[in-house]
Amino acid sequence: MTDFGTLPDWAALGPALALGFTALALFVADMVYPKRPQRELFAGISVTGGLAGLALSVWYLVAGTGQAESGGAIQLFEGTLVVDGMSLFFATIVTSVVVLVTLASYDYLVDHPHQAEIYSLTLLAATGMVMVGMSNSFVTAFIAIELSSLPSYALVASLKENRGSIEGGLKYFLIGALSSAILAYGISLVYVSTGSLQFGAVTEALSGGVGGILGLGIVMILAGFGFKIAAVPFHFWAPEAYEGAPGPVSAFISSASKAAGFVILFRVFVDVFPYEVVEGTVDWVMAFQAIAIVTMTVANFAALRQEKVKRMLAYSSVGHAGYVLIAVAALTGEASGAFVLGSGMVHLMVYAFMNTGAFLFIALAEHWGIGRRIEDFNGLATQAPFACGAMTLFLLSLAGLPIGGGFFSKLYLLIASVRADVALLAVALVLNSVVSLFYYTRVIKAMWVEDPSDDLEIESQPVGLYTALALAALVTVLLLPGFGIAVEFANTAAKLVVP
Amino acid sequence: MVDVFNVVEAIALVPLVSFLLVLALGNRMPKKGALSGIAATGFSLAISLLVVLDLATGGEVYHEELFTFVAGDGAGVELSFGLLVDPLAALMLTIVSLISFLVHIFSLGYMNDEGEIGLRRYYASLSLFTFSMLAFVYSDNLLMAFMFFELVGLCSFLLIGFWFREAGPPSAAKKAFLVTRFGDYFFLVGVVAVFATFGTTAFAGDHSFIVEATHVLEPDATGEMNTFLGLGEQAWITVVGLLVLGGVMGKSAQFPLHTWLPDAMEGPTPVSALIHAATMVAAGVYLVMRMYGFYALSPTALGVIALVGGFTAFFAATMALVKQELKQVLAYSTVSQYGYMMLALGGGGYVGAVFHLTTHAIFKALLFLGAGAVIIAMHHNENMWDMGGLKSRMPVTYWTFLFGSLALAGIFPFAGFWSKDEVLFETLQHALSGEPLLLVGYAFGLLAVVMTAFYTFRMVYLTFHGEPRTDTAASPEPIGWSMKFPLVVLGALSVVGGVLNMGVLKDFIGSENLFLKKWLEGKTISGELGPLSAEEYHHILESDFAAGYEVTELSPLGPGALALVLGLVGLGAAVALYRAPEPTPHMTKLGRIRTLLMNNYYLDEFQVWLATGVTAPLARAANKFDQSGIDGVVNGAGSVSMFTGERFRRIQTGIVTNYAALLSLGLVLLLLVFGFLGGWF
Repeated sequence: MTDFGTLPDWAALGPALALGFTALALFVADMVYPKRPQRELFAGISVTGGLAGLALSVWYLVAGTGQAESGGAIQLFEGTLVVDGMSLFFATIVTSVVVLVTLASYDYLVDHPHQAEIYSLTLLAATGMVMVGMSNSFVTAFIAIELSSLPSYALVASLKENRGSIEGGLKYFLIGALSSAILAYGISLVYVSTGSLQFGAVTEALSGGVGGILGLGIVMILAGFGFKIAAVPFHFWAPEAYEGAPGPVSAFISSASKAAGFVILFRVFVDVFPYEVVEGTVDWVMAFQAIAIVTMTVANFAALRQEKVKRMLAYSSVGHAGYVLIAVAALTGEASGAFVLGSGMVHLMVYAFMNTGAFLFIALAEHWGIGRRIEDFNGLATQAPFACGAMTLFLLSLAGLPIGGGFFSKLYLLIASVRADVALLAVALVLNSVVSLFYYTRVIKAMWVEDPSDDLEIESQPVGLYTALALAALVTVLLLPGFGIAVEFANTAAKLVVP
Repeated sequence: MVDVFNVVEAIALVPLVSFLLVLALGNRMPKKGALSGIAATGFSLAISLLVVLDLATGGEVYHEELFTFVAGDGAGVELSFGLLVDPLAALMLTIVSLISFLVHIFSLGYMNDEGEIGLRRYYASLSLFTFSMLAFVYSDNLLMAFMFFELVGLCSFLLIGFWFREAGPPSAAKKAFLVTRFGDYFFLVGVVAVFATFGTTAFAGDHSFIVEATHVLEPDATGEMNTFLGLGEQAWITVVGLLVLGGVMGKSAQFPLHTWLPDAMEGPTPVSALIHAATMVAAGVYLVMRMYGFYALSPTALGVIALVGGFTAFFAATMALVKQELKQVLAYSTVSQYGYMMLALGGGGYVGAVFHLTTHAIFKALLFLGAGAVIIAMHHNENMWDMGGLKSRMPVTYWTFLFGSLALAGIFPFAGFWSKDEVLFETLQHALSGEPLLLVGYAFGLLAVVMTAFYTFRMVYLTFHGEPRTDTAASPEPIGWSMKFPLVVLGALSVVGGVLNMGVLKDFIGSENLFLKKWLEGKTISGELGPLSAEEYHHILESDFAAGYEVTELSPLGPGALALVLGLVGLGAAVALYRAPEPTPHMTKLGRIRTLLMNNYYLDEFQVWLATGVTAPLARAANKFDQSGIDGVVNGAGSVSMFTGERFRRIQTGIVTNYAALLSLGLVLLLLVFGFLGGWF
């Protein structure tokens, strides 16, 4: 069904290559115009690069590259990289977010002195995230994670005049360094026990028995990934970093970076440390169940009392990590593994659009300079009905109401936890969704019901931000009728990973 | 020749068009919309008569599905709109459009000539009322019937409360609405139950719920249905039937839901005629007729219907004995007469019930319109003790009213005699073969015959005979042609209406001359009426798997004579007591019994007490529980959540060393737990 056979295997890395070369192109462009930032040029190159990556990902995904029907996963560089349905699915998520975020940055960075740097760091981080999905060895995985993390620290701190930005970036970096150390230590323990770092080889070595050292390594790797997906108790950086970072960067990290964390978590735990094999030593399903429930509950309840919208969204984003964790926490063997994992993947897909959209609305509010507290949003709908309508859509979809794809993906997670016979997860999911509805509606109420304060004045309707908002809203809504297609891709991709 | 069934939809739609026209342009139309209403109902009447003619001369039953809301595709629930015009519906369409047509004409004199205001509202409601009832009559399924049933209720609310600036009418309208609504709740549950049981609510067709139910109960059970609550199939059919019966009892004013009807007299008198004769009240009984094949399956449901009907017939008649206002007497007589119809239906007398519905529609409309004429003449004074001597002053009204009264009292050879006799005879026929409930109902029915004749002629004598007791009665206001014309038409029909089905003389004239029976058995149409025919109903009634009634063969002459004699006794008593130039109020001699009857057995007070003494405290208690219990839990959950949220928020101290420590502690905790569980140490 595809002419991919005529392309060499390395072309399967297309999405990552596109992003990487775009980042380099930005460096070149910046060198050509060192003094005067070329807004249109930089944003144009970035959006084009993101679109190229997105187009390649979607094309490969639809064409069935690396899928079961076209000869299975494509392994490269002696099996250290792999391109299959899952890596392409996540590449699609990451590149979509990149497109939205770079579009929005065009307006957000209007007065920023170092625009090219921000664009290129974003694209480099995105390259890392796509690579994370393609890694097939602990070495490449670690490098890819660092490639996505290091630019992210800089991005969070990119508002050099802003205390919050600097502070958030620093905290992010410190906690990130600690987590990287834990991850590296865990990887080294795995190497000690199995003598290999390549995923396939590690899995094979497990048949020789799973000892305590390996168990220690597995739990430390879990903690390292926990940092990346911002699951409790490895989430402390998230509220500070998301709040301090510039709006588009918050959107980027909370959506794309989280997705990257999940793809490696899925691959390593489902594929490399199969539950049946390591269950006796590390009952990681139980660990994920505990983490999922704690993450959902702590995050949603903490969000309840936040006064600042961005910080509230940050906690909501942590809470969603808890929901997605159901995808691994429900892999008890009772339900079809592909269905459970696919539900988590598709929730990440929907989440990428609705969460990015919500953070981009915050970016828009920062661009207007109307303040960060919920009261500051009072009566905003009288001035900017379209943007507020889009925000309402994102929030309701995040809460799981049937207005956007968030309804179905939460429903599938619920079905997954029920089928897997983990009632506690289902109960936690439902209760926390109810709690989340409360704090989301506070924002909606402020925007639509409350009277605006006298000095509320919106002067501009920035075209880039509005386009990004509109696109995110469109996809969020389209994922309601089109959910079947998305879940089909996710399930097919998951089938290849689940043993 | 144009096939009349091509325009059958128009029977109901034309009044709807009239409603919209009057609503939009009423104030600019001649006679404020009366003419448009007359034209519309006249048209409906003409088409209905053509349909009857067609069916009487070998036409075919018209059953057409117009459109489908939800297609069931053989499984699940199917919702559709369709028309069913069989002999029963055709007859009813004719009655409704005839009465409505005459009422519209009468209103010209009663409303327009009296200079009433709000006529646009009046005629619009009247047209909508007619539309709803006609559409209800030819509905082909229970759900559609329910919708129009409710619309009929709404229209009667609008019309009873027409004079909404006075104190009485709005409260009477509210009462009518609420009491019938109480019954309709059961009906609604019944509709849902029919859906849940059979997946369809169609009245006709090979897979109607009636046919399905029959097939289920037949010995070689071929049908399918779901039962609930662990009940057997017949028991569940009984439950469903009784649920629907709730709506019937509300609308047809059967004990104990009859209390709204006498109050409904607050509306304009032509409206009362319409409500009592052909629309609102008739709707309930018609519904039982429409699904009679279903009720015939359950002896219990039939027994309940018969007993309620018989008791209501008797009970309402006792209250009519002492009323002083013309329309009040008529109102209780309506309740009583519908009791007869229910008695007949419960007693297996389908033909008798339809017959009585027909004749009653005619003579009750006549009596109400006659009463309306008297009320106009008396300047809206309705007290009979203020009348007297109107006989010579308004002869047309007197003679037609007298014919109507003779029909109501069941005196040979007026229309009511034949139909009432048919009702009692058919009940007796089934009762004698060991149905004690029917026998009790029959006894009530016989008692009511005496009282009916008595109160009817008490009314006639007090109103028209003797000397005028007030100045108004001495010189009443003359009435115009528009009021006389309907009276004359209905008066003539009251005299000859019995020709339809002279069951008493069956042995002399021969069964082939019982036109209504032949009509309902589908003998006049081409093709078979199948499960909708009176013959099939009797077959089911007499089957052992269904009601299991048996027929005791006896001559109709004896019971007929008995009923006639009883009627004459009541008539004679009334004449003897009140035939004086200055009649004395004999009823006061009853003392406390009279007080009891005047106060309608204190049923209104009882229902008010039920509302304020039982329901209101219960509601208050529920409210209290909701406020303190449920809301308390909800609010409590809210505060606990907020408190927890505050705590969780505080975990985030802002100090990065704390974060690092917590993160490491979390890891250590995980390591310890899983190390311990996995046995690493």
